[in-house]
Amino acid sequence: MTTIAETAARRRHAGRTRLSARHREWIAGYLFVLPDALGLLVFLGVPMALSLVLSVFEVNGFGGYSFVGAKNYLRMWNDPLFWKGATVTALYAIMLVPLLYTCGLGLALLVQRTDRFNAVMRSMFFAPHMVSLVVVALVWQFMVVDKIGVISRLTAALGIGGFSFLGDPNFALITIVLVSVWFLMGFYMLIFLGGLQDIPRQYYEAAMIDGAGAIARFWFITLPLLKPTSFFVIMVSMVAAVAGAQAFDIIYVMTKGGPANATSVLIVYIYQQAFGFGAFGYAAAMASILVVVLMIVTAVFFALTRGGRFNHEQ
Amino acid sequence: MSDKKKAFPTLTRRGLLKGGAAVAGGLVGLGGFPYINRLAVRAQETPLKFWQFYAPGGPVASQVAWFEKTVADWNDSHPQKIELEFIPNSEYISGPKLATAFASGEGPDIFIISPGDFLRYYNGGVLKDLTPFIDETAKADFPESVIANRMVDGKIFGIPMEVEPMAMYYSVKAFEEAGLNENDVPKTWEELLEVAKKLTTPERFGVMFETQPGYYQNFTWYPFLWQGGGEFQTADGKSSFDSPATVQALKFWQDAINGGVAPRQIMGAGGHDTIANLASGYVAMQNVGIWGISQLQSNAKDFQYGVFRLPTPPNGKYVTVGGGWAFVANAKGRNSDAAGEFCAWALASKEQGSIDRVATWCTKGKSDMPPRNSALKAGGAAFSTGMIGKFAEEIHPGTRAEPRVPPEVYKIISDAIQQTQLGGADPQATATSASQQLDAFLSGYQGAPIL
Repeated sequence: MTTIAETAARRRHAGRTRLSARHREWIAGYLFVLPDALGLLVFLGVPMALSLVLSVFEVNGFGGYSFVGAKNYLRMWNDPLFWKGATVTALYAIMLVPLLYTCGLGLALLVQRTDRFNAVMRSMFFAPHMVSLVVVALVWQFMVVDKIGVISRLTAALGIGGFSFLGDPNFALITIVLVSVWFLMGFYMLIFLGGLQDIPRQYYEAAMIDGAGAIARFWFITLPLLKPTSFFVIMVSMVAAVAGAQAFDIIYVMTKGGPANATSVLIVYIYQQAFGFGAFGYAAAMASILVVVLMIVTAVFFALTRGGRFNHEQ
Repeated sequence: MSDKKKAFPTLTRRGLLKGGAAVAGGLVGLGGFPYINRLAVRAQETPLKFWQFYAPGGPVASQVAWFEKTVADWNDSHPQKIELEFIPNSEYISGPKLATAFASGEGPDIFIISPGDFLRYYNGGVLKDLTPFIDETAKADFPESVIANRMVDGKIFGIPMEVEPMAMYYSVKAFEEAGLNENDVPKTWEELLEVAKKLTTPERFGVMFETQPGYYQNFTWYPFLWQGGGEFQTADGKSSFDSPATVQALKFWQDAINGGVAPRQIMGAGGHDTIANLASGYVAMQNVGIWGISQLQSNAKDFQYGVFRLPTPPNGKYVTVGGGWAFVANAKGRNSDAAGEFCAWALASKEQGSIDRVATWCTKGKSDMPPRNSALKAGGAAFSTGMIGKFAEEIHPGTRAEPRVPPEVYKIISDAIQQTQLGGADPQATATSASQQLDAFLSGYQGAPIL
């Protein structure tokens, strides 16, 4: 004769074993992902959807909404400042992404050996990333100020001075790119370091026995085996160039989009339309287009590189 | 053993999850819903919020003290209390704070705005008509040139707390180093560029105009447009930007940059910052407003400087621009009548306390010209001696109120200034293009008159 408690325990046990180990693992995996997925949905998915809805309304910024259909999108087509912003954004990305890739990888190769000196150097290269972007922008603004900034004095001493880093439309965007690279390269160095440490040492040893030099080892071993890391770096830096915090903060503090809109990347223009002019609907339309373009570029890049997978992987 | 287990049950994963879910649910139920939470708070007698940017620890201590005393005096004598909220300057002026607050229906009950922002908030329907709270005699105390850009259809929607005319400041030391003295102060644009050239050294610029795009740059450029007889719109609301006066004003600032006597990049907080630019020795002359007096008094006491009125172009007439902030009440606020009453009580009452308050702000809080005739008298010697006296006698008489324009008009003019000043564009072609853009906008503009 069994007691009620024993019967209940048996039922619980039977309930547990109803699922196979594979299913339980499958459920556990999704449960682990769930909090992050919920966060993305609430803080990214929902605002993106709302932004898309907002883009077909004219919003006066004081609670007044009126449906305007595609008017905001048509306005964008005829707005020279939107196209100026798109051009500046593209130029910024074209300059920033290769520079970040090269500097990040270069630094990682320089400090990849694990000794005390390299540990200090790694910390130093990563240090800018720990500082507030506003502080970074203010310090650089001071260093490149006309005539008396330390870098302006240095370039003048080298005989290449006489120009304004941030006040001349021909140099302002390049200066912003260089400051962005200085700020971000430590982060990408860390990612590349992770990738480099995954490459088995035996490959290099075998290559050296075969007489391969440093350049050949880099070209035929390091670079191909960094393919997944490279894919990640290029993707992330591209997103950072178009919509990253540094793209907004540094420009907003250092130039406010000037001189003569030379550094007015799209997110600065979107911000100006939304918060400066109260044109929230128009700003949402531009933001939506920006996201769509970014997604298309990402998808094309993903397809071309097979998501950074090696050729032997499926 | 089993008895012990029953008495002290161990913590299982399921138990932990259940407990966590219960706690989270409880928290959400109690106060997690912001809307319900807000209703509960609103049901209480909450003070009205007054937003401004003169925060404790700011560069001039007497400014925050003035705000605190004003609110404390009101709270001592009125049942509806008011509370100051300090918004960082960068968040407030052209920042997202006010914009997002109003967009979400949570705008402050009382706040301060400049003429550059007036139309945006008026056209948005959130400015309370303050006329019923202002006595007729007090209304007459505000000169027309000061109050006009805060009025629509004869009604007052903002009460100015100050008038801030623009002028030129110069460093006495820089003048002496260049062998100049106060008799060499330039009176024409041509003279200004010549003097600036003499003052320019490898480490210093001779003169400085604002270079960063924004409302402030437009504000500082308007007097150069007006001096040659230029306007950006005609009386019947069409663009008049394509004029010789516009071209001349755009070219003047461009010449200063191209001649190498003015910097392309400015120091510190911006062109309104006299400490980082003039007092630091970065520039020898600076185009800045009356507030520069209190900045230098508070932060560079030993700095020797002089002030002169804006030079004029050939056949031009002296005129400067007067900016300044105004108290406004949120028409959609919780108690807009009390908010409106506060604005009038603080700055536009016929009571002596109100008059003195304005005079105190303009003499002790800041170094400004008062927006009321009676406050000018109440300030006495403070407005007739020293640098403020110079402003009162020589500079302020030519003051014209800062234009109030919608953001779209601001942007068109701003781009024209930027393209010519720093982009090297042809002033005539830029003026023509900007005028066409202005016409396109003005033809469809619906809102309070642009002044």
